[in-house]
Amino acid sequence: MIGDAAIAPPGLGDRIIGLARRSGTATAGALILLGFALLALLAPQVAPWDPVLPDLTAILAEPSAAHRLGTDGNGMDILSRTIHGSRYAFMVALPSVAIAVLVGVPVGLLAGYRGGWVDEALVRVADAMRIFPSIILALAVVAVLGPSLINVVLVIGLLDAAIFARVVRAEALALRAGSYVDTAVAVGNPTRRILFVHLLPNAIQGATAMLAIRAAWAVRISATLAFLGVGIQAPAPEWGAMIRLGAELMVTGQWWVGVPPGLALILMVVGLNLLGDGLQDVLDPRRRAAAR
Amino acid sequence: MSLLAIEDLHVHFAARGLDNRLRVARALNGVDLQVRRGEIHGLVGETGAGKSLTAYAVLGLLRDSARVVAGRIRFDGTDLLGVPEAALPGLRGRRLALVVQNPRTSLDPLARIGDQIIGVRRAHFPREPMAESRRRALDMLARVGIADPAARLRAWPHEFSGGMAQRVAIAMALINEPELLIADEPTTGLDVTVQAQILDLLRGLVRARGMAALLITHDLGVVAQHCDGVAVMYAGRVVEDGPVGRVLVTPRHPYAVALTSAVPERLRLGAGQVFGGTPPDLQALPAGCAYRDRCGAATPACALPPPLRHDGAGGLVLCHHPVPA
Repeated sequence: MIGDAAIAPPGLGDRIIGLARRSGTATAGALILLGFALLALLAPQVAPWDPVLPDLTAILAEPSAAHRLGTDGNGMDILSRTIHGSRYAFMVALPSVAIAVLVGVPVGLLAGYRGGWVDEALVRVADAMRIFPSIILALAVVAVLGPSLINVVLVIGLLDAAIFARVVRAEALALRAGSYVDTAVAVGNPTRRILFVHLLPNAIQGATAMLAIRAAWAVRISATLAFLGVGIQAPAPEWGAMIRLGAELMVTGQWWVGVPPGLALILMVVGLNLLGDGLQDVLDPRRRAAAR
Repeated sequence: MSLLAIEDLHVHFAARGLDNRLRVARALNGVDLQVRRGEIHGLVGETGAGKSLTAYAVLGLLRDSARVVAGRIRFDGTDLLGVPEAALPGLRGRRLALVVQNPRTSLDPLARIGDQIIGVRRAHFPREPMAESRRRALDMLARVGIADPAARLRAWPHEFSGGMAQRVAIAMALINEPELLIADEPTTGLDVTVQAQILDLLRGLVRARGMAALLITHDLGVVAQHCDGVAVMYAGRVVEDGPVGRVLVTPRHPYAVALTSAVPERLRLGAGQVFGGTPPDLQALPAGCAYRDRCGAATPACALPPPLRHDGAGGLVLCHHPVPA
């Protein structure tokens, strides 16, 4: 067999190192995210205070030995709240991207493969979402449904599903015409098998490369909704909600309420974008070719 | 009785031009073709004559832009055009099989060879023990001449040459022992020894199992050596059909005469005269005989639809002025 005996397949460790060498941006992003993931997992152990426990002796206290980053208007510890905020970021990003993939990818596959009214409907809906600012749409929907983590996740996931569907549809469309898909039909494969066994692995690459970018978008939109007061509500330690409280206090000089969650949000979104951008370079053959 | 009988099949392509006018390309204009059990029937003709389209129509693989306007495709007595869409996967790959033209693109690039062949088996025999499906896949790969089949089952399509990929595609088509195999230039791109090996395998299956095969090809040598009957297509119609010995030796239709005399050996002998011209525009087919603009024997009578004549040897000729036997 060609090359099989000569070159042993690389181990997982080698592969990770190989990927890291291929893209510095992806590595930097992955490290930032790894940091946040550890913080989120170990938040109760790492955070010095309970994030929602008011310290009535220290309301709006400046950073000190007891409260490293000070406290907010309820006397809650900013450092602890910022650390716990990373949990909310993951709790929004992961399920909403999962919903987007689980809904968007099958719809895109079917639309690209079948064409006809499924395709027509998908393209129209996706186009409508593109021209309509998604933040306003999300704002309206959450305002109607009520502010809760589940509603925020659902809205973000479904908005994003249209984007995944578009990308997968384009790939499926290109694969359908004159290729192994014809053979797969001609040997009697049921449509289900053609879609998920033969078409999916070949059409999924663009969507895979998008995952981290979409997660960054989810974190950002969730924080925006909370900042505007329709997302996850205070006193939950969500970054957007914390920034909302801090924004009012900036003018009166209590900078420590809003700045730490703001920085955390920026860092996480930057990390996801770096990872996403690096992944696209590595995974997308067109961009890989361009980079060489 | 014929296993496959295509009767008066018309397929049109409709598309809007830049001027937004609907243009209809009449790609098949009344194809009549029969393939019997135990027979390999050749199908020859120029590019664009409708050979592949006929094959795709039989398997129900026409794209949305193509429409079957009229005709019947009888397979073992039932009209395939009347079979509901949901029942087609049960026929394809089981009783009817197709080998398509491009071996390099006819395999899924992200699935192992073995998974693809075994998948075709199991799509139709889901309850068969895995070991048995695997054994059949190994056996089939060996029979199409792939060395070390057990190792090749784990290979990826990109590790295969075009010829090997084509043999895998043929193995996939044959693994369920279909009653009818339609092969669209199955051996184009293979070297002559492999080509002979595969066609001999096909002939063995046809003789031993009473299978039928429709072999689309440009190679009249392949037709002469491996086919029992041959049909010549021109502009979406079968213009001549009959036993290989008769059609290749004494073609009756002027187009078949031109086609058979365009073989290098015949040209060297000075036997034929090459006729020029191009195939007619399918969007504006002339009334009457579609070949008359290129035909040396054309007369004003050719503006009328040509009559179907029996050639006396079990074949047919579609011509006003067939070459005398």
